[in-house]
Amino acid sequence: MAHFETEYQRLEASYSDSPPGEENLLMHVPEGSKSQWHHIENLDLFFQRVYNLHQKNGFTCMLLGEIFELVQLLFVVGFTVFLANCVDYDVLFANKFVNHTDSSKVTLPDAILPMDVCNAHIRDNAFVIFVLIISGVFWLHRLVKFLYNVCCYWEIRSFYINALKMSMSELPYATWQEVQARIIEIQKEHQICIHKKELTELDIYHRILRFKNYMVAMVNKSLLPVRFRLPVLGDSVFYTRGLKYNFELIFFWGPGSLFENEWSLKQEYKRGGNRLELADRLASRILWIGIANLLLCPVILVWQILYAFFSYTEIIKREPGSLGARCWSLYGRCYLRHFNELDHELMSRLSKGYKAASKYMNCFLSPLLTVVAKNVAFFAGSLLAVLIALTIYDEDVLAVEHVLSSVTLLGVCITVCRSFIPDKHMVFCPEQLLRVILAHIHYMPDHWQGNAHRYETRDQFSQLFQYKAVFILEELLSPVVTPIILIFCLRRKSLEIIDFFRNFTVEVIGVGDTCSFAQMDIRQHGHPAWMSEGKTEASIYQQAEDGKTELSLMHFAITNPHWQPPRETTHFISQLKERVNREAAGASSETHPLSLSESEPRSLVANILAGPSTLGSVHFACDSSLANNAVTGMPGGATALRSLSPISSSLHLRGSLSAAHRVSGFTGRAMTGSGTDARTVSSGSSAWEGQLTSLVLSEYASTEMSIHALYIHELHKQQSRGDLSRHTWHRQESDESSDSIPDEVRSEPNTRSRNFPRSQTFPATLPSPGASSASATGGTNMGQDGEKAQSSSQRRHSGPAADHFGTAGKVVRTAHVPMGGWAEDGKESSRHHEPVQEETSEDELPPHIHKVT
Amino acid sequence: MNCRSEVLEVTVEARQVEEAMLALLHTILLHRSTGKFHYKKEGTYSIGTVGTQDIDCDFIDFTFVRVSSEELDRVIRKAVSEFKDALSSDGMGQISLEFYQKKKSRWPFSDECIPWEVWSIKVSVVNLANEQERQICREKVGEKLGEKVINVVEVINRHEYLPKMPTQSEVDNVFDTSLKDVQPYLYKITYQITDSLGTSVSTTMRRLIKDTLAL
Repeated sequence: MAHFETEYQRLEASYSDSPPGEENLLMHVPEGSKSQWHHIENLDLFFQRVYNLHQKNGFTCMLLGEIFELVQLLFVVGFTVFLANCVDYDVLFANKFVNHTDSSKVTLPDAILPMDVCNAHIRDNAFVIFVLIISGVFWLHRLVKFLYNVCCYWEIRSFYINALKMSMSELPYATWQEVQARIIEIQKEHQICIHKKELTELDIYHRILRFKNYMVAMVNKSLLPVRFRLPVLGDSVFYTRGLKYNFELIFFWGPGSLFENEWSLKQEYKRGGNRLELADRLASRILWIGIANLLLCPVILVWQILYAFFSYTEIIKREPGSLGARCWSLYGRCYLRHFNELDHELMSRLSKGYKAASKYMNCFLSPLLTVVAKNVAFFAGSLLAVLIALTIYDEDVLAVEHVLSSVTLLGVCITVCRSFIPDKHMVFCPEQLLRVILAHIHYMPDHWQGNAHRYETRDQFSQLFQYKAVFILEELLSPVVTPIILIFCLRRKSLEIIDFFRNFTVEVIGVGDTCSFAQMDIRQHGHPAWMSEGKTEASIYQQAEDGKTELSLMHFAITNPHWQPPRETTHFISQLKERVNREAAGASSETHPLSLSESEPRSLVANILAGPSTLGSVHFACDSSLANNAVTGMPGGATALRSLSPISSSLHLRGSLSAAHRVSGFTGRAMTGSGTDARTVSSGSSAWEGQLTSLVLSEYASTEMSIHALYIHELHKQQSRGDLSRHTWHRQESDESSDSIPDEVRSEPNTRSRNFPRSQTFPATLPSPGASSASATGGTNMGQDGEKAQSSSQRRHSGPAADHFGTAGKVVRTAHVPMGGWAEDGKESSRHHEPVQEETSEDELPPHIHKVT
Repeated sequence: MNCRSEVLEVTVEARQVEEAMLALLHTILLHRSTGKFHYKKEGTYSIGTVGTQDIDCDFIDFTFVRVSSEELDRVIRKAVSEFKDALSSDGMGQISLEFYQKKKSRWPFSDECIPWEVWSIKVSVVNLANEQERQICREKVGEKLGEKVINVVEVINRHEYLPKMPTQSEVDNVFDTSLKDVQPYLYKITYQITDSLGTSVSTTMRRLIKDTLAL
């Protein structure tokens, strides 16, 4: 080529592979993985651990707690064995005399058998050895788990310190929303999740609550066999920790469960093709697990008894009344839980409702029992008084046999009796109490409203809110009952379960398979009777009951104000918020309306205001005190606060607070919070102020949510009055087994004759059986079997229930007495900054009217 | 979960399995390999070059590009021929190419291998009756593979997570440095026969132990 004399020349060697002079090379600078937090393998576990560590207040607290638990376990077993084998009870009861040379007193060491006798005792007793081996294995298992956990949580601890920049000492005072905001923040730089550039709050919630959401949905759709109609006890709920553990074992993580790993459902369960075969397989697995439960029953039973004995005897001895106290049942927690609601959120909400709930239950003390209890208490009291008086006069009385024990027994007896005697100053106004409860628990079957004074309502409420004693008893019975439920009830539902998981699992990019209800999509799972009329496209099978979708959505949007929902959802939320706000403002300008014009939607909030207006005003004092330091820069907010009624002011204040708080992010006046500006926080003196703000915000969030819950319920009530829809509280088991069980109405002829206004949403209400089954099967062609069964069961109801439907239409409503007098309560509550504690006396019911200015 | 997964499905004749698999695996690896890193002082490095090479298939009307590294080719060929031998004449199988990075852990635990991208190629083998059908199949599979290659390139072109470029001490955690002429991201090839993609006994056991430990 060289002989052509042109300007074009061959470029020399620039294509050659051999490296030319090194100075010409393109140099790169490695980024390196500066942190170890990019790309975490199991985000589910990771977020769960982050959450747990936050809930357990840091690493040290958790470590100590776990160590003590291990020690406690050793102690329980060791002490029991010791008491059973190494104590000479004859010496203690003075049936046998001890020969002492020096003194005549019996000492404790006298009663303890020598080592070798003791050992022989233990060796001879096969049962003791059995118990010892089992607890030894169990303890070792716990120990290994503990060591493993320590390693894992150590990592999480360094994540908090290095990545989130939160020290363990400030962790107990940081809200989860703050932690979450920081996680979202660091995702941008570390990419802990590789699917997306940014995480949302919902992603984190989905991962932490993946299986809980499924459980909530299954309880919501009455899929789990936890309600039973027993011959003597009537309608009852049995749901214990053991049962729950077994459900989770079967569905989520046990060998051969439906889930392949923590985040994905097995492929074959996503296809509808061989559902029958899968159902068979599931049924046989349930059978085997049931049998395993049956075989292990003695072991678990012994363990439960020992555990209950040691954890509760001390309490019962200290305050026998605690057995008469109530607690939210496990079923209640599932029934009342929103989708995507973390444990601490649920617990704080339920704790707030606790006082009102127990007061409500106390309204229903049987007068007969009261009379008896009063007299028993009188007699026992007089005996006790005499004994005590004698003892005071001369201590030797105590030495008389059984005097001390009878004093103790009499004391217990009186305490028990006292719990049956109502407070003298108690006023019977269940309807209002139920309203207060509703404001906190957010869910309630329709037919309770207006029937709060009925015993049936109370009974049903007691399923959610049971006696502690009943709770313990159920836990003790659980090892025996669980296998029965598994083998006879759950197994029959296997097809429905398979269908449920197939129909209600969606794959979300970056999250994996989640329960579709937890997406809180109004369009897919909204219920027309709960404000999503016209927006929802869900068939009956797909609708979440009790307005769960709508309420969960509101709850999530309110607790996570920075979450950006999809567009339609945003529309729903803003529309609802606006309505509530407007009506709150409107209502506050009126005087308290005593009479309610029910058709007017305008009166809705007025109605709420006139009822337990406590909600807003509880925090009112606290509002205004905080308004001074938090919203100083917002005079508008402050004036709005004064001019408006408590509720609306709390709404506005929350708005202005968060606005102020955003502004502060810009101006550098450091205020932390659930906001995106969490990073701007310097962890110095301002940290406390910031935490305060976010706590205040979260308290308003709960108030705001209460108002919305009441509003939605109220609207639902008006909407469904005369409107026909379904009812879930007593929706029968949808399998054919319920044939053997008499229908609700049939089994309670007396109820019927009394014309107990059953809810208008009782299943009676489908226009015609044909239409119902048509719509049901038309809506979803996948879950045909379950669907048909359900519609047929609805058909069964329609007969007897239809005749008194008319009464349900016009529920007699009593006018709500406006309740004021909350100023002092507000002051009281201003001391409470922890939302988790039991709420202050917001549910007190002073009969007098007190205007809050 | 924290890894992307892509699924490719192909239907081929028994004699085409090897070539089809090689074509797809090599295509993916071509885009997931870099030249060797030469670390310099002050924490910088330069990247060596990677040669490419066109390969014509014998049983398919198809040509693909692969990294011209005999070593890499040998490794992949070995895996594919194992897979081919295990696959029956008209069965289903899945071969997956998993890219992972290692994370150093403290003493009691071994290093974690965390996958960030998994390519699963599902293969179903068909038997053909006569030569004419084979001829048609030959062309059709060629077209299909072409589509798959485009598909792969599209996925790789998306701007998504890749492990960050490591410093010298960490290079073994991200790249496979055992080959002397090319440096792919750490990868692992596994295969499964039969369509019951359910978990084997060992994985179930491992998960069981892990679960009981976890909570």
